[in-house]
Formats: sequence, structure tokens, C-alpha cells
Amino acid sequence: MSLSDSLQKLASYRVNNSRASQDVFKKGEALLKAGKAPRDEEGWAFLEQLALAAIDLDRLEVAEICLQKLADKFPGSPRVDVLTGIRMEATQGITPVLEYYNELLLQDPTNAAAWKRRISVLRRARSVDKATEELIEYLDTFYTDPEGWLELADIYVSNRQYTSALQALSHALVLNPQNPFTFVQFAETAYSASDLPLALKMFLLAIDMIERDLDSPESTPPTGLAFRTWWGIKLSTRHLLEGGPSSPSNTSAPKNLKALDVLATERILSAYKGKELEYQRRLVEGWVVRK
Amino acid sequence: MAPGATISSTSYYKLYFHAAKHPHQPVNGVLLGQQVGNVVKVEDVIPLLHHWTSLSPMMEIGLDLAGQHADESGLKVVGYYQARTNVSDVGLGPVGEKILQRLQEKFKDAFGLVIDGEDFGTDKAALIPWIYIAESSQWKVAPGSEAFTPGSAYQLASIDLPTSAKDYVKQGLHQAFGDFDDHLEDVSIDWLRNRTCIPFEA
Repeated sequence: MSLSDSLQKLASYRVNNSRASQDVFKKGEALLKAGKAPRDEEGWAFLEQLALAAIDLDRLEVAEICLQKLADKFPGSPRVDVLTGIRMEATQGITPVLEYYNELLLQDPTNAAAWKRRISVLRRARSVDKATEELIEYLDTFYTDPEGWLELADIYVSNRQYTSALQALSHALVLNPQNPFTFVQFAETAYSASDLPLALKMFLLAIDMIERDLDSPESTPPTGLAFRTWWGIKLSTRHLLEGGPSSPSNTSAPKNLKALDVLATERILSAYKGKELEYQRRLVEGWVVRK
Repeated sequence: MAPGATISSTSYYKLYFHAAKHPHQPVNGVLLGQQVGNVVKVEDVIPLLHHWTSLSPMMEIGLDLAGQHADESGLKVVGYYQARTNVSDVGLGPVGEKILQRLQEKFKDAFGLVIDGEDFGTDKAALIPWIYIAESSQWKVAPGSEAFTPGSAYQLASIDLPTSAKDYVKQGLHQAFGDFDDHLEDVSIDWLRNRTCIPFEA
């Protein structure tokens, strides 16, 4: 792969927020060694990305080089300060790291990244209550950060506090009304909370968002998030047809459950085409017809 | 007394690859096997999730399909494994317990394996077995000598599996590994068997 291809690939990881540490490290370190690290604006983002990947892979000597270059260029930058903290997390105990982030927050209470690292360290130290408390406090100030709400929902879900998780997710939905992923996550959490009508409603909103731009949705097999969503629709309608529990949120189930169930079955099976998928299709057929 | 267990090479490679592919996310899946005398022989592993590993709708479907696949292979779902985001966290957590309770309905001695992030990538097995103690109605780390060391009731099919698994990961074999979450994104991913990933005679 040529250097410019490597650079392009690394840039696309950044745009997609994809961590891909091993690949980033391999390509990035080669560029750094060859002295071909970009020198423009993009170069700083590149160094930050490579530093993170190096910390992930425990190649701290490479992380140090990147950090040094960044610190020289941007002394006192909150972003570089936080990166230094992440580097500390790799080798130092919880207490000095927490103190370090406290220090940063005293200097600048609006350093959102330092807040979030602090919360993540607390969570890892299994001070979940403290982490939850701080996250709620953080969201008081940074209400518009959907990632913060998703993290809060994640904490609640891992403790099986589904109702609180749904409340956190509803904030993320308001902030991200165009993002079908958040709707699917909400639907799956509602399902876990045994609120099947609410789950189905959200799955249907998501599928509408994903498939409304298809020319002929009924003849195109679902892919990606649509496929997962159809499975969710199928599972919810099946249980509702069996007479599932009532809805804690008083959501009513749609009238056309039977038709939805048939449609979901068709959509799921349409994805299992070809010889390679014959075995899977047989299992799935066994599953969908099961009572 | 709860039965001990042996973990086949294929099973070990699969759960190892699963955890290695998602170092920043919790992963989970089920163990397939059969009980022979006082030993549960784990012969295969089916990886389930890496997005949201709670007892979610996708978990329910994944468990159903894994159960059907086990029937087809003449095996039972005998246990559950997970790796948590926090490397030092080797507890089952509320979700792990809930899933195991469900597996117990069909296999009384269902047990859990939690991947120990601290030992993962060394020559140790890095697996902590959890069993249900009926007297206290609690899930506990299996008592007795350290699991997967000589003399323990828990054994790997071969003592060098952690070392060879680590080498395979270095070669990047785990990159092609897929779980049910992956299959839900790309239907062509063979999560039930992962044949492209375990090409060697395991």
C-alpha cells in the first residue's frame, strides 16, 4: 500500500470514528518512521490517532514521540492534556490518574473530554455509583452530548435498570432524531424492560427511517441495520401475538400484528439466499415457524 | 459436586479470537458440549454479541438459534462465556447470571467462563469458571485449585493452547471471526461455525 493510500485510510478511520488500533498502528508507525507524517493541519489529528493506537497496543515509546510533538506544538491544549492522561492510565494507578483529571478540571471546568475520561476511570475502578453521579452532573452541563446519554444508558443496562436506561436513551433520541441506531438501541432496551409494544413501535420507526428511501423495499433483501431491525420486529410481534405482558408505558400495540409478523418473516428469509447460506436458512426457518 | 470441564482446542480458539477481536467491548457467547461422567466436555463455542451484551432481544434469538444448532450437532448448550470491558473485572455481573439461569433450565450444571483480561495474551488460560452453589443460591468462582492448572477439575485439551492462540492472533486470524451481532450486519458471516477462521486441524 502506498503512503498516500495509507494516509487516506487513516483519515477515513478518523471520519468514521473507527478505532482499528492494529491497522492504524501498522500504517501510522511506518509513516512516522519514514518521516512521511503529514505536516499540515491533518498531521496533528494523525499524531493523536497514532498515539491512541499505540497506547492500545502497549507501544508506549511510539505514543511518547507523538505526545511530545503535540505538546511542543500546542502547549496547554486541553486535548493534548487529555491525551497525556490516557497515556498515564496505561501505566499508573487509579488515584494519580483521577488526581490528574481533577487538576485539569480545576483549571478548566468546561474540558468535556477530561470529564468523560474521569468518569470512565471511575467506572473501571468499579466505583459505578460515583461514575453515575458524575455522569449525571456532567450531563447537567453538557446536555447536548448524545454520547454521554448513551454511556449513562449503558451503565443502567449493565445493572439491568432498564427503566432508567430508557430515560437516558430518550434524551439521546431527542438529540439525535435522525439516527436509526439510537432508535434500535431504544427498542432493544424497551424489549429487555418487557415493554413489547414500545419496543415494536421503536423498531417500526427505525425500519421506516432506514428503508423509506429504497426504490422497491419489498424486493430488496434487508441488509445491515435493517436486517437486525426486522429480527426485532419479528420477535416482538411473535410475543405480542402470544399475548405478552402489558406495556408499562401504556403504549398500544398496532392492530395489524398478524400482517406485520408475516412481513417480518418474509423480510428475514429473503436475506438467506444461495447455497452458502442453506444451512443457516434451514435453522432460521425452523425458528420462525416455531410456536 | 459440580462436574469439572475440559475445553477443546476449537472452543478455546473461538472464544479467544472473539475477545481478541473486540478488546474495547464486552463479548459473550455459549459453550456447546456434553456431559461424560463427572466432566462436561466443551466441544464447540458459538459467539453471540459484542454490541450490547445484555439479555436483549438479539441475545434471545441468538440463544435460540445456537440451541437449534447444538441439537443438529448432537450437543447441548452447557455454558456461557463473557469478557467484560474492564480487564480486571472477572465477575459474571447481573446479566451473566441472568443468562446462565436461563441455560440451567435445560442443562442443570450450566457453568460460566469469564475471560480474565489481566492474564489474556499470556501463556495462562485466562479463564475463570463460575458455578452455581445451590446451598447458598449464588454464583461463585469454582472452588478448588486454580482452574486450568495441573490438578484442577478444569482443563484445556492441550496445555499450549493459550500460546498457540496468541500466535494465531498475531497472524491476524481473528480478524475474520464473526459473531451473531456481525451476522445481523452481514448475513453472509458464518457465526455458527466460523469455518474460515478455524481452518487448521484444531
